[in-house]
Amino acid sequence: MSPARAVQQGRTRHTALGRSAGSTPATILAGALAFSMVASGCTVANSNRGSAASPDTLRIVLQEEPPTLEACDVSLTSVGVVTRSNITEPLMERNPSTGDLEPLLADSWEQTSDTEWTIKLHPSVTFSDGTPFEAADAAHSIERTVNSDLACNVEGYVFGDADLDVEVIDPLTLTVASPEPDPILPLRVSFVEMVPRTTPLTERVRQPIGTGPYAIDYWDAGQRLSLVRNETYWGPKPDYARADYQWRSEGSVRASMVTNGEAEIAVGLGPEDGAGDLGVAYPNNETTAVRIQLEEPPLDDIRVRQAINYSVNREGIVKALFRGLGTPAEQLISEGVIGFNENLEPWPYDPEKAQQLIDEARADGVPVDTEIRMIGRTGQFPKVNETLEVIQNALSELGMNVSIEMTDSAGTAEYQERPFPKVGPYLLIIQHGNQAGDAAFTADQYLKSEGFQSAGGTPEFDERVNEAGTKTGEDRQEAYAQLFADEPNEVMQMAFIAHMNGVLAKADSVDYTPNSATVDEMHLKAMTRADTTETD
Amino acid sequence: MFRFLRRRIYTSLVPLLVVLIGVFFLARLTGDPTSLYLPESATQAQREAFRATNGFDQPILTQLFDYFKGVVHLDFGDSLRTGEAASTMALRAFPATLQLAFATMFLAILGAVIIGCWAAYRPNSLADRISSLLSMTAASIPDFWFAIMGVYVFAILFGWLPTSGVDSGMLSWILPIATLLIRPLGVLTQVVRGAMVSALSAPYVRLARSKGAGDLRVVTHHALRNAAAPALTVAGDLMVGLVNGAVVVEAIFGWPGIGKLMIDAILQRDFAVLQAAVLLTAVSIFILNIVIDACYALLDARVRDKAKV
Repeated sequence: MSPARAVQQGRTRHTALGRSAGSTPATILAGALAFSMVASGCTVANSNRGSAASPDTLRIVLQEEPPTLEACDVSLTSVGVVTRSNITEPLMERNPSTGDLEPLLADSWEQTSDTEWTIKLHPSVTFSDGTPFEAADAAHSIERTVNSDLACNVEGYVFGDADLDVEVIDPLTLTVASPEPDPILPLRVSFVEMVPRTTPLTERVRQPIGTGPYAIDYWDAGQRLSLVRNETYWGPKPDYARADYQWRSEGSVRASMVTNGEAEIAVGLGPEDGAGDLGVAYPNNETTAVRIQLEEPPLDDIRVRQAINYSVNREGIVKALFRGLGTPAEQLISEGVIGFNENLEPWPYDPEKAQQLIDEARADGVPVDTEIRMIGRTGQFPKVNETLEVIQNALSELGMNVSIEMTDSAGTAEYQERPFPKVGPYLLIIQHGNQAGDAAFTADQYLKSEGFQSAGGTPEFDERVNEAGTKTGEDRQEAYAQLFADEPNEVMQMAFIAHMNGVLAKADSVDYTPNSATVDEMHLKAMTRADTTETD
Repeated sequence: MFRFLRRRIYTSLVPLLVVLIGVFFLARLTGDPTSLYLPESATQAQREAFRATNGFDQPILTQLFDYFKGVVHLDFGDSLRTGEAASTMALRAFPATLQLAFATMFLAILGAVIIGCWAAYRPNSLADRISSLLSMTAASIPDFWFAIMGVYVFAILFGWLPTSGVDSGMLSWILPIATLLIRPLGVLTQVVRGAMVSALSAPYVRLARSKGAGDLRVVTHHALRNAAAPALTVAGDLMVGLVNGAVVVEAIFGWPGIGKLMIDAILQRDFAVLQAAVLLTAVSIFILNIVIDACYALLDARVRDKAKV
C-alpha cells in the first residue's frame, strides 16, 4: 500500500465527517468497463473466433499447445500429434497394430544395392495448395529434414549424424542412399513428412503445407488451432469437415470438457481425472523407469544399483497408483517393438535382498549415505509425484539419503541428455516410447555407453548394440532381445517401473480406437461419426 | 497536485525497475531455452548459432543492457516460439485480463456495499453471517481449489456452465469471475461493514435521523458516502492483486489473458514474451496505483501535504 493511501486509510478510521464522493472514480471506471463488457456481447478480448461446435467439427483438447507444426519436428509428441498424417504425410507409414510398414505417398520401395533404396511415388497426389506432389518434393523434404542445418527433431531422433544421398530419377521415382548399409532405412524415412519444394531449406516453417487430409485454417496462438478438410485430398475423404484443437493444462478440466459436451476427444488423462465411462485406456508404448547415473558414488557400485532395483515395488505402484492401468516393466521397450524380449520377468521386489546388498556395499566402504537427488518432471505421467515418493520411501528404509526434485520439461532436459552436468549422484525418472517399432531407436540412445540419453555402458556392450543394428529379420529380433536380457546383469543403468497405459476421453458421438501410436500421432481420418460405418 | 503526481511517478519507477531486472534474471535462472528449441542431436555449432542469434551468448549484463536499450526504443524482442513481436502478444492478451479484473471488481464492490451495509445495519443478521463466511472463505480457500470445485459442481455435476474457454458468451465468464471474486468480495465486505458500523454511530448520522431522514436515506446519503473511502483504499489494492493474480485462473479456464501468456512463456522459456508481459503488467499496476493516489490527493489536501514531506 502506498504511503498516501495508508495515511488516508488511517485517517478515515477516526474521522467522522469527510467529503467524500470518495470512491466514485474507481467505481465509475469499474462500472463503465463492466458495462462495456456486457454491451460488447460478453465477448472476451483476444478471442477472435467463437466456438465451432457443429456436427461437422471435431473438437480435441490437448495438454499443451504445439510449439510449432514444423513438419521436420514431428518426432516431438506435441507436434506430431497434430501435424503427422493430418497436415503432412510421409512416404510410408508403420501400422501400429501389425508393425508392418505400409505404403502412403509411396506405392513401393525396394532395395537396389547394399545402401540404396528406390522409391516409387503414388501418382496424382497434390499438396493442399493445389501444386502436384512429385519426387523433387520428396527429395527436398528428405534433404531438409536429414541433411540441412535446421537441426530438425526428426534428424536427431531417427537419423543421427548420417546424411542421406537423394536422387530424383523421374517425377514419380527417387533413390535414397545411406553411407552405411541400413536395413531399416525405409522405416527411418517414414518419419520424414513431405512438404513442397518451395519450403525453405534454411528456415523453419511454423505452419506447413502438406498433402494431408487437412490443412491449417487458422491458428490463434495461445487459444485455438483449427484445421479444415483438404477438399483436394488424394485419399478417402475424412468424415469431419473441420478439427478444432484447444489445450488445457488441468487433466480434470480436459476430461470435463468431453463429459460436458464441449469437446469430443481429450488426451493425456489420468485414471482419476473423471472421464468416467467416456474414458478409454490403451497401451501407449511408453515405459517408465528410474535411470541410475553410473559415474558417481555410491551409484557407481552395481550392488547399490541392484539394491535400488530390488526396492521398487512395481506391482504395488501399478496397482495402487496407476489403478491397474499398465503392467510392471522388465525392459525399456514394449510388446510389438522389434527386439522386445517376451521371456523377461520384472526384477523381483525384495527389500531384504536390497538391504543385504546395501550393507555389503557399506562394509566395503561405499558411501551409501551420500545424498542422492531423485529428479522428476511435473506432469510426466499421472501420479508421477506419488511414484517418486514411494521409491524415495523404499530407499530411505534401506538407509539411503534420497531427496526429491520436481521440475518442468526444460528443467529435466539437462539431466536427460549428454553431456550430463557434474552435480553429484542423481536418479532421473524417465519415460521412453519407441514409436518407430524397432529397438535400434532405443538401444542407440539408451544402451550405448555414449548414447545420448544413456547413463553409461561398456565397450563390449556397445559393440553388441552396433552389431544388432546391422542384422535383419529374426536375427535382428533375437540380437536385440538378448541385449535387453543381458543389460541388467552387465550394466544395470535402469530400474524399470511400468509399461504405461494412456487414457483418453471420447464422446459417444465419435468412433475412434486409440492404438499404441496415438500418443504421438492422432490421425483425424481415423475418427468418424459414431452413426456412420465409414472408416479410413 | 502536479508536484505530488511527479513525485509519485519518480518513486514508483524504482520498484518498476527492480521488477524488470528481477524478471530478467529470474527468467534466465529457469534454464537455457536451447535445450527446448533444439533437438537432442543438435550439434554444438547449431547450439552456439541459436544462442548467438538470440543474444544468449553475450555476457548477462550486456544482455540486460541490450534489453533496456530495446525497451527505450519500444522494441521488446520477438517470441522464440512464434516469431511474433513480444509486445504485440502481450498487448493482445492484456485486455482479456483487464476485462476479467474490472468485471470482478465491479461485482465485488456492488456485493460488498449491499452485504456490508446490510450487515452493519442489522448486526447478527443473515447478512452479518454471510459477511463472516465470505471473509473466512476468502482467507482460507486457494483460487485453484475453488476453480476445480467450481468446474466439478457447476460444469460436471449440474452441467450448467462450460468447464473453460471463452466460447459460451456470458456463461464463460461465470466460473472465472466467481473464482476471482471470492477474495475481494470477502475483504471488501468486511471493510464496508466495519466502516459502516463506525459511520452509523457517528453524530452526524444521529443528527440526520433527528431531522427525520429514513433508514435508506441515512445509509445511502450519509453513512455510505463516508464509509466509501476506506473501501476505495482496499479496492485499489485488490484491483492490483486481480490484475497481477489472474495467472492461475486464466491457466485453468483457458482465459486468453496476460496471466496465461506468462505461464506459457515460462514453460516455453520464451524470455522476450515473459519480460514484455511482466513489463506491461507492472506498468499498468504502476498507473493504477498513481490513479488511486491521485484520487486521494484530490480528496484530501493532507495527503498531498504528507507526500511533500
